[in-house]
Amino acid sequence: MNKWIKPYLKKYKGQISLTILFGFLGVTSGAMLLFVSGYLISKSSLQPVNILIVYVPIVAVRSFSIAQAVFPYLEKLLGHNIVLRILGNLRERLYGILESQTFHLKKKYQTGDILGVLSDDIERLQDFYIKTAFPSIIGLVIYTIFIAVIGAFDLVFMVLMMLVLGVILFLMPYLSYKKNKINFTNLKQKRNRMYRHLTDGVYGQVDWLASGRKDEVINEFARENKELVTVEKKIQKWRHFKEGILRLSASVAIILMLLWSNIQTEEGSITATLIAAFVLMTFTITDALIPVSEAIEEVPTYVDSLNRMDEIEGTSKVLDEERISFTGKLENAEVVLRDVSYSYDTTESKAVNHLNLTVSPGEKLAILGKSGTGKSTLLKLIAGVIKPDTGEVKINGVKMKSDYLAEAVAVLNQKPHLFNTSILNNIKIARPEATEQEVNKVIEQAQLNELIGSLPEGLNTHVEEMGQRFSGGERQRIAFARILLQDTPIIIMDEPTIGLDPITEKELLETLILGAKEKTVIWVTHHLAGAEMMDQVMFLEDGKTKMYGRHDDLLKTNAYYKKLYEMDDGVFLKQKTL
Amino acid sequence: MKRKRGLPTYPGSRNLHIKLLLLIILEAMSIVAQATFLARAIVLLFDRIPVTEVFIEMLFFFIAFLIRYGLNQWQIHLAENYAEKIGTMLRSELMDAYFTNRSQTLQNEGTGRLVTLAIEGIDQLKAYLEIISIRMLKTFIIPITVLVVVYLQDFISALILVITVPIVIIFMILLGVTAEKQADKQYETYRLLSNHFVDSLKGLETLSYLGKSKEHKASIEEVSESYRKATMKTLTFAFLSSFALDFFTSLSIAFVAVGLGLRLIDGVILLLPALTILILAPEYYSPIKDVGKDFHATLDGQLAMQDIDQFIEESKTLTLNHTENLTWKSESELKLTHVDYQINDAILLKDININLPNKGLIGLIGASGAGKSTLINVLAGRTEITEGTIKVNQEEFKTLHDEAWFENIAYIPQHPYIFPASIYDNIRFYQPTASKASVDKIIKQIGLNEFVNELPNGMDELIGESGRSLSGGQEQRVAMARALLSDKPIILLDEPTAHLDIETEYDIKQVVLELFKDKLMIIATHRLHWMQDLEYIYLLDEGQIIAQGKETDLSETSEAYQLLNNRKRRDLT
Repeated sequence: MNKWIKPYLKKYKGQISLTILFGFLGVTSGAMLLFVSGYLISKSSLQPVNILIVYVPIVAVRSFSIAQAVFPYLEKLLGHNIVLRILGNLRERLYGILESQTFHLKKKYQTGDILGVLSDDIERLQDFYIKTAFPSIIGLVIYTIFIAVIGAFDLVFMVLMMLVLGVILFLMPYLSYKKNKINFTNLKQKRNRMYRHLTDGVYGQVDWLASGRKDEVINEFARENKELVTVEKKIQKWRHFKEGILRLSASVAIILMLLWSNIQTEEGSITATLIAAFVLMTFTITDALIPVSEAIEEVPTYVDSLNRMDEIEGTSKVLDEERISFTGKLENAEVVLRDVSYSYDTTESKAVNHLNLTVSPGEKLAILGKSGTGKSTLLKLIAGVIKPDTGEVKINGVKMKSDYLAEAVAVLNQKPHLFNTSILNNIKIARPEATEQEVNKVIEQAQLNELIGSLPEGLNTHVEEMGQRFSGGERQRIAFARILLQDTPIIIMDEPTIGLDPITEKELLETLILGAKEKTVIWVTHHLAGAEMMDQVMFLEDGKTKMYGRHDDLLKTNAYYKKLYEMDDGVFLKQKTL
Repeated sequence: MKRKRGLPTYPGSRNLHIKLLLLIILEAMSIVAQATFLARAIVLLFDRIPVTEVFIEMLFFFIAFLIRYGLNQWQIHLAENYAEKIGTMLRSELMDAYFTNRSQTLQNEGTGRLVTLAIEGIDQLKAYLEIISIRMLKTFIIPITVLVVVYLQDFISALILVITVPIVIIFMILLGVTAEKQADKQYETYRLLSNHFVDSLKGLETLSYLGKSKEHKASIEEVSESYRKATMKTLTFAFLSSFALDFFTSLSIAFVAVGLGLRLIDGVILLLPALTILILAPEYYSPIKDVGKDFHATLDGQLAMQDIDQFIEESKTLTLNHTENLTWKSESELKLTHVDYQINDAILLKDININLPNKGLIGLIGASGAGKSTLINVLAGRTEITEGTIKVNQEEFKTLHDEAWFENIAYIPQHPYIFPASIYDNIRFYQPTASKASVDKIIKQIGLNEFVNELPNGMDELIGESGRSLSGGQEQRVAMARALLSDKPIILLDEPTAHLDIETEYDIKQVVLELFKDKLMIIATHRLHWMQDLEYIYLLDEGQIIAQGKETDLSETSEAYQLLNNRKRRDLT
């Protein structure tokens, strides 16, 4: 809780204090409006001869009425301003944390969904300030000052008021928090369960229908709804009770105030004209304190967000070192893996197991293997984003590090992210200082000319607007242009053609291989389409090389390879062999 | 963005509104009583009447005060019960709609959104129903009651109260329009800026690979700052309307107070009515001020109500029947004649004519977007066709969305849904009574035994979302085991192997060909290796069948088919 809130309260303490001051002045103006009004009409009813006696109260009433509107407005503006600043800080911080562990994030953080959730979590914290922190602190300030003012008159009554208003400000919020902590957790569990079951139902709809078991889902959902409603009823019941106690305390405070101001009048310490003033003011004070309960009740709803953020921060080691440049030569890059092993967990078997591999400059290597045989791990090792447990990965004799990514190795993913900006910006992100000529060249290499020519705004077309119209192949081409602009000697391709139909796949592959003609290419793929374009083919199994060789040689000498290639090819080979 | 306004009209709302109306009238009366007794108590004390004689006024004030808030809670309680009843009713209607609906709608709307609609949407609607009726009725009844009481005591104060309302409304509208314009102007920037962060997080891996992730932090900082500025600009205007509301109401209370003071000096009015009016004046405005509260909750509720009502309305015409004649028998065949299917204006299938025999392996091939999946959806009973007929057992149908038809089919998509349950339960999903022995046999047949034997809990191991995750090939095998165990006569496969690695693809293909050979199997694919094994091929392009026949015929006669295959020939020759 502290790590994500406290530092910012401190950082913006000046502005926060000002916000609270405005909030306080807003409530005070409201209280004073009624106070002075009460005094004004009481005094006026004595029909003073000199109207000037009520002149000051009249002016005061008008000023307070204006102040009552102005201060809350300022409070809201300033409050939101602070919160937006804090939001900016939190975003930077979350980004920093995630950035430092991009390649080490647990599986569950790797999906976009969780990242979206984290981003929402940060936004939720806005509510903490606006809905919980500020109102509670303002309530506390008002309480303190009100009690202090009464204390100046009468210590005994001060204690009495402290207790009665304390019920509103402390006791009920505390009980509400306690009570709802359980209820909210309960509610959330129930709701999550409903989500899970309904998702099952809807995703597996055909299966449920085909199995004749749809009523199971429907009845289960109805039962869960009933459970949810039971918890909701509990919460509502408590709210009604709480509201009752709060209003009861308020009315007691008002009556006490009435009795007390009467006693004070009798003792002569105040005039009778102030009875109405004090009583009316108490209305405003109690009205300002009552919402605190609701503000505190919200606290359990932030806890989850904070926990999630703590969790992600807990696993991070923020390394803010300067990036170091690649020390070797970049031309004719040769990749050498010597006796490389890697396992994600000491208890698990090795994802890459004492592997040796040399990729010569300009060579095109295809890597195949079943899922879980270490293909992705191998790519990560070559990219330098994970360090081998044994052995070493060297590029032109220099040990690979993730720092060298920008200069030495470019990566084309399965689903490269296109940023929510123009095509041009998406390409130039790789090298913002690139000239127009350089950009045009990579566009040509990625064979994007035709596509871009067909867009009315050309390179300035927003990717997001076109999001639905860009096909998988087109998105890959944009990403490919981007990594070409990066101009590294080595390109890693991690199944860039997955999910594409054979014609698109074929065209994209040709573009990729042709575009990367002069570069060393390491290409992970799941089937053999395009294998004939590669220099070498390697099959992995359990982190080891199962098959390795030139496509033509394998086809001739290896029956298994031939069988697979035949199948992938489908028609032609079979006819040929017949 | 469409939304429903006004009082909701679900069953029982009339009843609720009558009850609320009565309670709110009573509440208005207790507000008046509370103010009157308090004013009397103050005035008596002011006149130095001994406090013992004022107790009765104080007691009545106390009682009126408590009754007022008691009535208030009672109204809320009624509204909550009503909202709960409606919520439960709508949830069950939605569930019916989801499972009788031609599921094409499910796909169009996106399954995630439908789940959200039934849970979050209903919650939002409930929150809306809980406040809206009370709020709307109060806005009328309470100010009018207060106004009448004030009018009876002092005409001028009543006049001030009446005049301020239109002024407030006019200002609110003016400011609202300005704020909206401002917001519209900012909207594009606003949206881009607020999405930037999520966009950055999702693109983090890409940025890191480009070696730009550290530099990007500065851009986050910069965009957050622009976002703040843009938001503040909008808020400055948006908050003005609540400012205007506060300003005019509190100013008018000031006017009332000052006016009363001056008339008291002149002796035109007495202290008691004056004080009563002063206490009542804020009550006059309080319901009006509440109207603008919870703006977002109200908006969300209205939008949810619109969506839910529309969805239920649309699906009311649909029912799920059980037509005996759709049962697949040993001589049954299926025939589609001149079938069209369109959604909105998009024609997805056009003049489809196909004959499916009683058993055999039939292929639907073509590039992505050719209509293969849509056709599979028609055959799976997920879609109602727009034109044409479907003939089964000599009877014509418009849709195969029917319980009897569902009993015939097993549908295996590219990513079959794995229920978060044990492997055992997943496999016997269509046959919940199947024994472990029979499931075990299937596991062996389908080639999952090696995998299952290695698991600590064997076939009782949990899989799916909260359990052990499966590879694509294993998912396919589980789905196929499911189909095999249920012994369904028709198997629909939608691109079952394209995403698998070649070795797994090879293994799965062997399993499919071996185990399903006595069934009618329809496979939609663009993987060409299946062609050799298909007994009959339909080649689709842009929703139409452009060629059909046996593989050997197609490869000789169909230019389109040759084109699809051409890539291979060119490479190797």
